[in-house]
Amino acid sequence: MIRIHDLSKEYKTKKGSIVGVNRVNLTINKGEIFGIVGYSGAGKSSLLRCINLLERPTSGQIEVNGKNLTELKGEELRKARLKMGMIFQHFYLISQKTVGENIAFALKAAKTPKEKVTPRVLELLEMVGLTDKKDVFPAQLSGGQKQRVGIARALANNPSVLLCDEATSALDPNTTLSILRLLKKINRELNITIVLITHEMNVVKEICDRLAVMQDGRVLEEGRVYDIFSNPKEELTKEFISSVVSFEVPQTILNQVTGRIVKVLFRGSVAGEGVISDTVQQFDVRGNFLHGAIEYIQEMPLGLFLMEIQGHPDNITRAITYMEGRGAQVEVMRNGH
Amino acid sequence: MGIDIQHVIEMWPDILKAFGQTMYMIGISLTVAILIGLPLGIVLFITDKGLFLENRFVKTTLGVVVNLVRSIPFIILLVALIPLTKLLAGSTIGPAAASVSLSVAAIPFFARIVETSLREIDKGVIEAAVAVGATPWMIIKDVLLPEAKSSIVQGVTLTIISLVAYSAMAGVVGGGGIGDLAIRFGYYRYDNTIMIVTVVILIVLVQIIQQLGDWTSKAIDKR
Repeated sequence: MIRIHDLSKEYKTKKGSIVGVNRVNLTINKGEIFGIVGYSGAGKSSLLRCINLLERPTSGQIEVNGKNLTELKGEELRKARLKMGMIFQHFYLISQKTVGENIAFALKAAKTPKEKVTPRVLELLEMVGLTDKKDVFPAQLSGGQKQRVGIARALANNPSVLLCDEATSALDPNTTLSILRLLKKINRELNITIVLITHEMNVVKEICDRLAVMQDGRVLEEGRVYDIFSNPKEELTKEFISSVVSFEVPQTILNQVTGRIVKVLFRGSVAGEGVISDTVQQFDVRGNFLHGAIEYIQEMPLGLFLMEIQGHPDNITRAITYMEGRGAQVEVMRNGH
Repeated sequence: MGIDIQHVIEMWPDILKAFGQTMYMIGISLTVAILIGLPLGIVLFITDKGLFLENRFVKTTLGVVVNLVRSIPFIILLVALIPLTKLLAGSTIGPAAASVSLSVAAIPFFARIVETSLREIDKGVIEAAVAVGATPWMIIKDVLLPEAKSSIVQGVTLTIISLVAYSAMAGVVGGGGIGDLAIRFGYYRYDNTIMIVTVVILIVLVQIIQQLGDWTSKAIDKR
């Protein structure tokens, strides 16, 4: 478990000090995948780098597995870092060493007995699917393969925490997906807590259990990914979510629509279309879908429909009440004209 | 300005001896420069701001000393170091004596080159090693030196070539060497033959060193 308590990080520049992280409190549970989302400059990277003390916080505390890291220095801090893996956007492998040597480097840091290094390297390479690349230099690998080596290196000493600094931002969509699947597998099989920062909401949707949205060094909103996707509170959160679940309808289409436009949201196991067809049948209203999709977040369906309802205003109101009664969340976007 | 072949043959033993002295002086001073300059360059780098052994006092002190030695013209250093030379080489003349001053000049020169080479390494790679929990010694041995080795080899090349040039001034303390021969015969005595022959030898020597350096640097780079 990671506890971030009242953490602040200020940077001193010639023009005065800049606040990177502003009094952040977060608790990340053991074994979960926690996403921190924000635009660049939001402070998410600083926050992540404070967790393993690559950057020393100006104030506040970091507690990992009950140990207060902010009190540690030198050798003690080094030993604590052995149990916290980290991967990076640009991989940061030693270019003059082979894949195997890069992984062995991490093992040597933990003083692994010589005879155990090679078997462990092979085991890690198998875990990330690169068994045949042991003696290859990083320059000969693709981005996705380099990140797999980075992951193998980070996991070498059986850490309890894996920190991911924009780990998929330099990769193409397919490779991103394969790396995310690998991270999820690691999380499930080894029960490693993963903290990842990203500006891509897709990454969060794909693997995170919970997330925090950051802006100007502060956490604006945090919660379970499903809850935040289905019910975002902050404007910024909505903006991020719209990059994944977008309900933009062209203005020309909206102009042709005369009825009342409503956004209907179904959470969890509710079968959305069924409720809508029941409603249409029972209340003498007509519904036209303008947009609709069911997103699966954490393997739970989230149905979002944008529709036009035509009919007598009273019937429409009753229809909406009915849908709400059946677990839908209905928001009137525009009244009819 | 012709070349007198007979004169070259006549002087050949002297030219060979001078060449041997040049090699001797460069060999000693390069060895010393690497043995002391390499660690010094590493210390200058890792004590810098934001690095894993950040230490402003060490960085500033060493920086000032390095700059101090580097700002003294070599010819003055040669004379100023006579007491040290006497202590170390037992004599104030000859190639061994000249090697002392050459070494003293080469150490800070090479140290700065090493420091610059290390700066070229992506900071992220060093940071990744810190995050892995590596010791400072491991980072030096397994990250800094391997990542910079290609560039450091270029630096060694540069140092050798500078030493070839500096060693020409070693004549002031009777150091001998090719450059000294060129100055004494070619310059002071208007002996064009010796002047041309020695200069050609120096040109060829520098070309070979540069080629070898470039080739080695490329051959060991895995990027």
